[in-house]
Amino acid sequence: MSSIRVNPYVLSDLLADLNTTQRQADTASLQMATGSRINKPSDDPAGAAEMVGNAAQTARADSFLRSIGSINGLLQAADSTLGSVVTALQRAISLGVEGANGTLSDSDRADVAAELSGIQQQLMSLANASYQGEFVFAGTETVQPFIADATSPSGVTYQGNTTTNTVQIGENYALQVNVPGSQIFTGPSGNVFQSITDLINALQTNNNIGGAVTEVSNAFTYVTGQRVFYGNAINQLQAQHNVINTDKLNLATAANSISATDMAQAATAFSQAEIALNAELAGISRISQVSLFDYLK
Amino acid sequence: MSSLLATMHLATGAMAVDQGALEVTANNVANVNTPSYSREVPVLEESTPVVLGNLTYGTGVKLGEVHSIRDAILQLRIQQETGQQGQLNAFVSAMNQAQTLFAAGTGDIGSQISNLFSSIAQLSTNPVSISLRQGVLTAASNLASSFNHIASNLSAQRSSLDLNVAQSVQQVNTLAQQIAGLNGQIAALENIGRDASTFVDQRDDLINQLSALIDVSEIKSDSGITLTTSNGTALVTDTRSYSLEMQADAAGVQHIISQGSDITSTINSGTLAGLIQVRDQTLPGLLNRLDTLAAGLATAFNRANASGFDLNGNAGGDFFSPPSAAVAGAAANMAVAITDPALIAASSDGSAGSTGNLANFSAIQNQTVIAGATPTDYYANLVFNVGNDVSNGTAELQSAQLVLQELQDQRGSISGVSLDEEAANMVQYQRAYDSMARVVTSINQMLETVIDMGTT
Repeated sequence: MSSIRVNPYVLSDLLADLNTTQRQADTASLQMATGSRINKPSDDPAGAAEMVGNAAQTARADSFLRSIGSINGLLQAADSTLGSVVTALQRAISLGVEGANGTLSDSDRADVAAELSGIQQQLMSLANASYQGEFVFAGTETVQPFIADATSPSGVTYQGNTTTNTVQIGENYALQVNVPGSQIFTGPSGNVFQSITDLINALQTNNNIGGAVTEVSNAFTYVTGQRVFYGNAINQLQAQHNVINTDKLNLATAANSISATDMAQAATAFSQAEIALNAELAGISRISQVSLFDYLK
Repeated sequence: MSSLLATMHLATGAMAVDQGALEVTANNVANVNTPSYSREVPVLEESTPVVLGNLTYGTGVKLGEVHSIRDAILQLRIQQETGQQGQLNAFVSAMNQAQTLFAAGTGDIGSQISNLFSSIAQLSTNPVSISLRQGVLTAASNLASSFNHIASNLSAQRSSLDLNVAQSVQQVNTLAQQIAGLNGQIAALENIGRDASTFVDQRDDLINQLSALIDVSEIKSDSGITLTTSNGTALVTDTRSYSLEMQADAAGVQHIISQGSDITSTINSGTLAGLIQVRDQTLPGLLNRLDTLAAGLATAFNRANASGFDLNGNAGGDFFSPPSAAVAGAAANMAVAITDPALIAASSDGSAGSTGNLANFSAIQNQTVIAGATPTDYYANLVFNVGNDVSNGTAELQSAQLVLQELQDQRGSISGVSLDEEAANMVQYQRAYDSMARVVTSINQMLETVIDMGTT
């Protein structure tokens, strides 16, 4: 007799198989429970490393979105403040035109000048506008940008600086978020405070009122031009908001393809493992402890 | 011609042999579940024949020896594979613990780095806000704690591996002593020509256990076996065993000393090899890379903070406590140097509302400040390496287990007790015994006939 002898101890093999199957079932159920097929770096080292990069990029996209949200308020506040400035200047121009009418008496012109003084003060308060406790037009200083100053020809002095801030709203995309008050209100081609002061003087002295009105009108044009900056910035924020949301969607799609559990696959793997497990258990319980001894009488 | 009495003698002798063979079968069946038992077979031999004239008569059967069925080469391969498995097992289970520290989550270093940069981006929208400044400090201190936590965890793991090494060395010593003892018993039995297979089985089992702990080479000699580690350090020579000793180095790490020489780094198989590999290479390597990352980040942040002005208009100081010149320990000791949120140097010109210098902080995430890589890339690579170590180790472990399983199967097919086979043998010996008994009965009747011949 020379048949090949087989290993009579089958149980250890079966137990090892059982162990493997059990592990497969555990892995599949963990993948289904967490929704991720990478639950520790060794599950897919390259995928885990990619996920680190993906998570970092997603975090940056989130932080850009938060920054966009935060500065949007600031830019809106600045824009609407400048809107009020423009309206005030329009009113000043029509007052100036009214004052230039030769039929007005001195006291009528004094009334107009008084109203203009009110506008001057309103403009002062607008130029010192603040958002969340911070002055909007002080450059990067935190002091009140414009104060009344009798020694200055325009009646005010600028205490801010001419520095601008930028905020990152995308990779390599830094958006300028402020224009210094000196540039907006006291520009060389249109000085708000100077022009109003000149108009008041012209009305009081009834001298060259038309020239002063032109000056205010120049300031109006100039400030309107400056306001465009904020409008543009707000538009850029909105555009960038959409761009980053698209980026986030792409990142999420990438993360999904790197690490998300293929539910159908995991469920199939789980039920396969379960079937195998049952079969193995049934097999083990049936591996008979039957031998030739049972048949000997 | 032969005599009736001689035939009777032959028959009873054969009955004794069958009984002996049945005893071997019984012993095999009794040991069916004994680990490392090698089945035994009775070796039946013809007795020396008698020559009378021109006739040669057989004189029956004798039990030559009881032989253990084992394959020495297979045993050796099992030992090697057991050692391989022991090493991989120790490596994988230790590194499995370590890798959980690098699993993606809310507290991992990667997210903490992102959180810090996000908090700085937030600050750039309102640089004078104390709460946003505080947010930056909190994120920085969370990052530092993450480094501290992981570094101290890895160090603690090294210490516990140190304990495991000491325990394994103790087991090696105990096993070596037992093997030396068995060597003596085997030699004593074999010297007087007796079968020592029971002790040989036991010794094989112990050598197997020893191989699971440390690399073992086996040299057979007349008076037993000599066991050495692969670099030639003796563990057992015949009836003598040599204890391994432990000696702590300056850093408190236990080294393994054999007869005065340090063999720690030469052990290349078994649990000890795996433990030592993780303790002396993998974990220190990981710690070193964490230190590099921590030191690189701290230096970059300190440089960024120093290039701007704080809320009070003063030049910025250190952001993190500066890492010492040696990188070692940077992760364990990382800490935020400033407690006053106003001291974050956001301003580039000294004006409180400037965010110009924050760009220098944000830029760090794209700069190759850590050994030629950006912080995130460096950390991602670290995660890859940890995962790769574990995943390779696990794959190797699984294949080693398969090989070992296969070898055990082979051993079973050669040395394992098959109940069917033993039952068949039993029937066979019993039948032979019965037949011989019948022969004795016949001869008895024949003898009666002979005796009766005189009386009638």
